[in-house]
Amino acid sequence: MIKATIHKALNTAVGSMKLNVQLSIESGQLVTLYGPSGVGKTSILRIIAGLLSADSGQIEVDGVFWLDHEKKIDFSPQQRKIGYVFQDYALFPNMTVRENLEFALEKGQDKNIIEELISIVALDELQNRKPNTLSGGQQQRVALARALVRKPKVLLLDEPLSALDIKMRSKLQDYILKVHREYKLTTILVSHDIGEIIKMSDKVYCLEDGKVTKVGDSLSVFTDNRLSGKFQFTGEVINIESEDVVFIVTVLIGNNVVRVIAQESEIVDLAIGDKVIVASKAFNPVLLKV
Amino acid sequence: MIDWAPIILTTKLALVTTIVLLIISIPLAYWLAYSKSRIKPIVETLVSMPLVLPPTVLGFYLLMAFSPGNSFGSWLQDVFGIRLIFSFSGLVIGSVIYSLPFMVGPIQSGLSGLPNSLQEASYVLGKSKLKTLFSVLLPNIKPSLLTGLVLAFAHTVGEFGVVLMIGGNIPEKTKVVSIAIYDEVEALNYSNANMYSLLLFIITFIILLFVYLINGGYLKRFWK
Amino acid sequence: MNVFSGHISDIQISKNLSMVSVQIDERIELKTILVETPNTASYLKKGSAVDVLFKETEVIISKGDPSFISIQNKIPAVIKKCDSGVLLSKILLNTAIGDIVAIVTTEILNALVLKENEEVIVMIKANEIMLSK
Repeated sequence: MIKATIHKALNTAVGSMKLNVQLSIESGQLVTLYGPSGVGKTSILRIIAGLLSADSGQIEVDGVFWLDHEKKIDFSPQQRKIGYVFQDYALFPNMTVRENLEFALEKGQDKNIIEELISIVALDELQNRKPNTLSGGQQQRVALARALVRKPKVLLLDEPLSALDIKMRSKLQDYILKVHREYKLTTILVSHDIGEIIKMSDKVYCLEDGKVTKVGDSLSVFTDNRLSGKFQFTGEVINIESEDVVFIVTVLIGNNVVRVIAQESEIVDLAIGDKVIVASKAFNPVLLKV
Repeated sequence: MIDWAPIILTTKLALVTTIVLLIISIPLAYWLAYSKSRIKPIVETLVSMPLVLPPTVLGFYLLMAFSPGNSFGSWLQDVFGIRLIFSFSGLVIGSVIYSLPFMVGPIQSGLSGLPNSLQEASYVLGKSKLKTLFSVLLPNIKPSLLTGLVLAFAHTVGEFGVVLMIGGNIPEKTKVVSIAIYDEVEALNYSNANMYSLLLFIITFIILLFVYLINGGYLKRFWK
Repeated sequence: MNVFSGHISDIQISKNLSMVSVQIDERIELKTILVETPNTASYLKKGSAVDVLFKETEVIISKGDPSFISIQNKIPAVIKKCDSGVLLSKILLNTAIGDIVAIVTTEILNALVLKENEEVIVMIKANEIMLSK
């Protein structure tokens, strides 16, 4: 259980902003911070990690106060025991993949965790390579594994997948979900991608101007009208074509492409690149065993 | 035939100076790279002063400070029995101050050039600042360290003004190559002066070439 | 998409399924079957306002007496306009609750000789209707 109240005046590119948020996260939940850039999502992660100091507030993790402004408690990043995956991965260029993981070991910690993590994120063949010889997705996996070596209870992911292509992204989402469940982590993810959020998170905090504007389970937060269709996916419009009296809209859902028949009235405010929900009744799809 | 003592002395001075510089420059450069202190610009300015100041100015003030006729110099002599003036230790101190920017500069810019996230990643992995400095930061600025080491060494080899002011011209004690050259010219021994000069020229050329080869990645490519 | 607003007038529940009746106006009620119950969807309450959604391609048109067709929702309508394409045609229908758009094959439009101002019955299967809050 993480309870956090954070106040901090931030200087951003567009001027100063007051960060004023309250988070309450159950153990084992995967929670997303969502919002346009510059609303303070990364700052929240950094404050939780102790890399940035808050002006005032409290952070309580499983009953222990990491930060209590009034009682002058402020744990250093070293004391907080968290896993943190940086946007630029922050792998140490002077160490191999394996050495990066070993560096994270605590004194006297069982080394088996290294083998375990290397096999979970499928790095066996890359373990003796230096990070700068790896692809973005591979570096990301190393960063994820390294963050878990100390067996933290809390995992913080700062837009971990933003630099990756769609196919890689979906694979890494699966890795993150896998470790999240396997190690019973409480995970906080910063993400822009609605599809990713709906796929991964139990709860989403929408932020605007340093404040939480909406909280809830991801599906209901992103679908303003609650729809009864049970067959729902979020995707991105990649093509709109006119066909006789109807239109065919091509939507990319994860790495699958689906096509949907639409009416003129439905596509007037739809453009390529828009996020849409594709919904159908549970009665319509047929299942074929493969 | 030339006297080898100045060459040995120069090499010894440059080596000792470089080692002392490395030890004091790492913490100083670290502080300059990461501190947000208000006195940082002043410290930065002081460190860079030897770049623009005539070496004789520095030498003159050090001579004044170390002179047993002054309170600091006499205190040193009375309490520690150290006489810095016209001695090898005095030369080392002078050279360290004189070459400080050549060591601090590259290390500081190397550290500032590293992404902050490397340091932060090490902290969230539970590692102390010291461990982070030695295991993460320094190994990733090896080219800067090498540049600093070599520039400081080469610069010490080539100094003249500071050495002459503090050290004077005592054979086997403070008479380094640059002073020996001056001496030989004064005595009209042009062939000896030429020998010393040529030696210095070749040594510094080789050292600098070595840095450019390594830092330019030429050696690595050549070995592959 | 055809969208109409109404109020839930009745809910019948069996395990995970619900049959929901939505009163659009005094005479016309549309029924839908959902894989939801009031426990899983908070808006499933008698009297709550909902939108009824169904796709144009799911709208069926009958010229004669539809009493013996196994389709739950039937609404009398008048054809306002036919828009023929090569394979598909769009039919605008006027009903008591507003306009409904149907998309059928051009072939059947021609075979049934559907014309403007003709009286027809519009039908929508219960499992094709979605509710939205």
